[in-house]
Amino acid sequence: MELYNKTLSELALMLREKKISSAELTKSIFDRIEAVEDKIEAYVTLNKENALKAAEEIDKKISCGEDLSPLAGIPIGIKDNISTKGLRTTCSSKMLENYVPPFNATVMNKLCDAGAVITGKLNMDEFAMGSSTETSYYKKTKNPYDQTRIPGGSSGGSAAAVAAGEAVAALGSDTGGSIRQPASYCGVVGLKPTYGSVSRFGLVAFASSLDQIGPIGKSVEDVAIIQSVINGYDKMDGTSQYREYTDYKANLKSDVKGLKIGIPKEYFGVGIDDNVKSSVMNAVKQLEGEGAIIKEISLPSTDYALSSYYIISSAEASSNLARYDGVKYGFRAENYDGLIDMYERTRSEGFGDEVKRRIMLGTFVLSSGFYDAYYKKAKLLQRRISNEFTENFKDIDVIATPTVPTTAFKIGEHFNDPVKMYATDICTVTINIAGLPAMSIPCGYDNNGLPIGLQLIGDKFAEQTLLNTAYAYEQLKGGFKLPTL
Amino acid sequence: MNIDIKHIAKLSRLKIDDDELEKFEADMQNIVEMVERMPNIDEELTIDENNAMKLREDKAVTNKYTREELLSNAPFVKAGCLVVPKTVE
Amino acid sequence: MNKDYEVVIGLETHAELSTESKIYCDCKNAFGLEVNSQVCPICMGMPGTLPTLNEKVVEYAIMMGHALNCKINRVCKQDRKNYFYPDLPKAYQISQDDVPLCQNGYVDILVNGEERRIGITRIHIEEDAGKLLHSDKFHGSSLVDLNRCGVPLIEIVSEPDIRSSEEAKVYLETLKSILQYLDICDCKMQEGSIRCDVNVSVHKKGTPFGTRTEMKNVNSFSAAVRGIDYEVNRQIEVLENGGEISQETRRWDDVKGESILMRSKEDAHDYRYFPEPDLRTIVVEQEKVDELKALIPELPNAKLLKYVKEFGMAQKDATFIAENAELAYLFDSCMAKGKFSAKSYSTWILGDLVKYLNETGKALSDTNINAENLTALVEKIESNVISNAGGKKVFAVIIEEDKDVDKIIEEQGLAQVSDVSALEKIAEDVLAANEKSVTDYKNGKTNALGYLVGQCMKASKGKANPGMMKEIILKKLG
Repeated sequence: MELYNKTLSELALMLREKKISSAELTKSIFDRIEAVEDKIEAYVTLNKENALKAAEEIDKKISCGEDLSPLAGIPIGIKDNISTKGLRTTCSSKMLENYVPPFNATVMNKLCDAGAVITGKLNMDEFAMGSSTETSYYKKTKNPYDQTRIPGGSSGGSAAAVAAGEAVAALGSDTGGSIRQPASYCGVVGLKPTYGSVSRFGLVAFASSLDQIGPIGKSVEDVAIIQSVINGYDKMDGTSQYREYTDYKANLKSDVKGLKIGIPKEYFGVGIDDNVKSSVMNAVKQLEGEGAIIKEISLPSTDYALSSYYIISSAEASSNLARYDGVKYGFRAENYDGLIDMYERTRSEGFGDEVKRRIMLGTFVLSSGFYDAYYKKAKLLQRRISNEFTENFKDIDVIATPTVPTTAFKIGEHFNDPVKMYATDICTVTINIAGLPAMSIPCGYDNNGLPIGLQLIGDKFAEQTLLNTAYAYEQLKGGFKLPTL
Repeated sequence: MNIDIKHIAKLSRLKIDDDELEKFEADMQNIVEMVERMPNIDEELTIDENNAMKLREDKAVTNKYTREELLSNAPFVKAGCLVVPKTVE
Repeated sequence: MNKDYEVVIGLETHAELSTESKIYCDCKNAFGLEVNSQVCPICMGMPGTLPTLNEKVVEYAIMMGHALNCKINRVCKQDRKNYFYPDLPKAYQISQDDVPLCQNGYVDILVNGEERRIGITRIHIEEDAGKLLHSDKFHGSSLVDLNRCGVPLIEIVSEPDIRSSEEAKVYLETLKSILQYLDICDCKMQEGSIRCDVNVSVHKKGTPFGTRTEMKNVNSFSAAVRGIDYEVNRQIEVLENGGEISQETRRWDDVKGESILMRSKEDAHDYRYFPEPDLRTIVVEQEKVDELKALIPELPNAKLLKYVKEFGMAQKDATFIAENAELAYLFDSCMAKGKFSAKSYSTWILGDLVKYLNETGKALSDTNINAENLTALVEKIESNVISNAGGKKVFAVIIEEDKDVDKIIEEQGLAQVSDVSALEKIAEDVLAANEKSVTDYKNGKTNALGYLVGQCMKASKGKANPGMMKEIILKKLG
């Protein structure tokens, strides 16, 4: 079995037992990238030289017998909206084609301190706006299960790279489903942590109140290992929350006896593919067989979550993306006449259509005379949605739903219909609106052999409960399988 | 409802060509229609006292970055400054 | 100005707070350093950076709120004000919109001896923008220096309670002295640490308020006076010519002495305020709010009112002392002894003391003057033990050395001769020796008297009590 096919936890053990070196592992990952990247196109920027150097450094430390993190020497890919000092961070936008951050995101410092080896920067929807990675200025990443299909988005590069063995694991970011949806489409495990648990410092903002960095891996254990490293209070992020340190991996247990799982009927209605519905319900039944208690619940405001999400996220985006003006960094239009023309040309030439759409929607909902009817209403709905979850979590431990209503669609299928594209986020956005943790784990395949994801939603900071539930299910279902490329 | 795309584009500092205008208008219209299904809520937004943040201690740190490092991504630099088309306001 | 009109003025005053670091990052808050040398990825608005609020900024703003009798909103938030300009790297300013840190206050000011109360609508915290540099040498470009980005500001918004440019000036000077008293702002006008926007309208007496215009770029208090006067006259002229005032933003050009249209109402910015999602709620404990209130000393405007109304001082003298925290402290300590009049102290403080401080460049705290030795000195003069001239000699010593006043008088032999028989003896000798002057005086040349008293003082080697001496001579001259 090739190294790229193994899980992070397996590889961490092999490194610790000195069966392999990080240099060997890193090289094998880059060999794999060389072999399949043409088909998948997951990376925007490769970091091969630095990665190999870092791997050798870690090998020295391992040979000295230093007590290292399980991430030490593990090749990890980073979504291209996470700032990497000295390594360009494009957000898959023309706007930041040559932008090289002079600082590291807090999560990068944490990964580097743990000895992770950075393989490169992964493709995404431009500024994380999209559900298919098709809005990237650079390339269209393909689904490893079917290269005529999208890998999901916006962390499509991250999910595809992990599924295709081009990275052992990856970091993604999730504003409305951007970790969970591609994880579901690519048959890997993705965790969107509680808002405020992982520092956003250095994550290029899309929607500040919803964005959260999280891990994508081949197994629940892999995701638990990374989450243990990246989470925690950061004084550089005013929205991060102080919590006691938890070693999620050490606390993993597969016992679900007595665990109360809620099934919200609103997530199994119109638009949910039959294959998806039956796979998810099967997974729930299997957990019931292990002693979990299944309970139907209702989250009536779910219908409005998508609207609330698009208003809040676009409003914040319109403001967050105003800084790209051709002055301090990034692209500037070549020809212009005066300041305002320079701004307009730079932004019109530097941003793609989806980004422009969201900026305009966001500007519109905040503009004079419309604020109350849109933004304020969306914020009120957000509070209502959040309260519904809080009420339900008084009686149950975990909520189970499909991650996405369907499996991966064809490249170009929804590209020209934003509303259809947005509808694929229906099961995931609510969780960001409520600031809750959620994960997607593979729970089967549809008739075309495309992966289906089970979404597990937990109460705030209940990551351990989520991981345990997912871990229990993974034991029943079996672990990661590499798609045939 | 009619959305004044040109005005919104101007506020957003985006230049929308006439041939793109219609498409953006239609897209926005669709999105706004989706969004307008929201129910009316007769409540007021409040400030959440339980969501308090920790404030930063007033301490300055100097020489964290060199000017060259910070300006290295700028399209145009002159005499240690960023360069923009002449402003009059 | 046309007497038929009334003027209504409201001021928005920005004061830079003298914290050590900036409001949202730990860059140094300093003026006048090399361009773009006090910046970091955060205040440069680099992608992915986040603000963290400086606690001192909140404290200083609350102190100013207390000083201006405001209600403190100990639970509040920050909002984004969105607009594009090269001096604003994020293209939004983090400010406060609907819930400011302080609101509904007032400040009492003294205008030409009359007490006026000006309402304070609100005080909020926000970040300053950078600076644009212009020159013909830049070939159609402007340069951007971001050092000032993120310097903490408080914006103090007054009610439209101000009725003249003179009142506006006193209001601004009062704010400045309060900021200085609280030691929360450098108040260096030439460095722009206090700036204001002026809202002006006029209306005929007995009619509703007129439409207001906003004037920006007012960089000194005297410019505020000139700008307001110009704008008042301009508006009256427009109205008198049958025109209408349109709600617009104008820019004051102090060099040309005129305001020019910046943007009309139609072009008014749509700032699209919304709650800053990168920061959580500002919550200041009530104990902290109270603690900060206890730190507020008696403020210069309150002192001024006391000096003028209670002590009967001239407004000019009272203002001078009230606005200098150290002098005011000394003066108040002296007055607290309840022994002598304000005048007996203020003469020394505004005279010899200020002269000494100006000449030496020292602060009062660098000298030895205190309420005790100054009172001891005044006591000797008031009880005629020493003359004013002698007092000046004593003062010159006690300001530099910690020395007993009595001892100085004794050492320098400054005690006045007040013994009538001794003075009469001197007078007799002098009159005998100056017969011509005596004759002159008797012939009506009254200025001969001064000469004769002077001769007596000389004969006494300056120790004679001049008042008594004069009386004795007058008596002897008949």
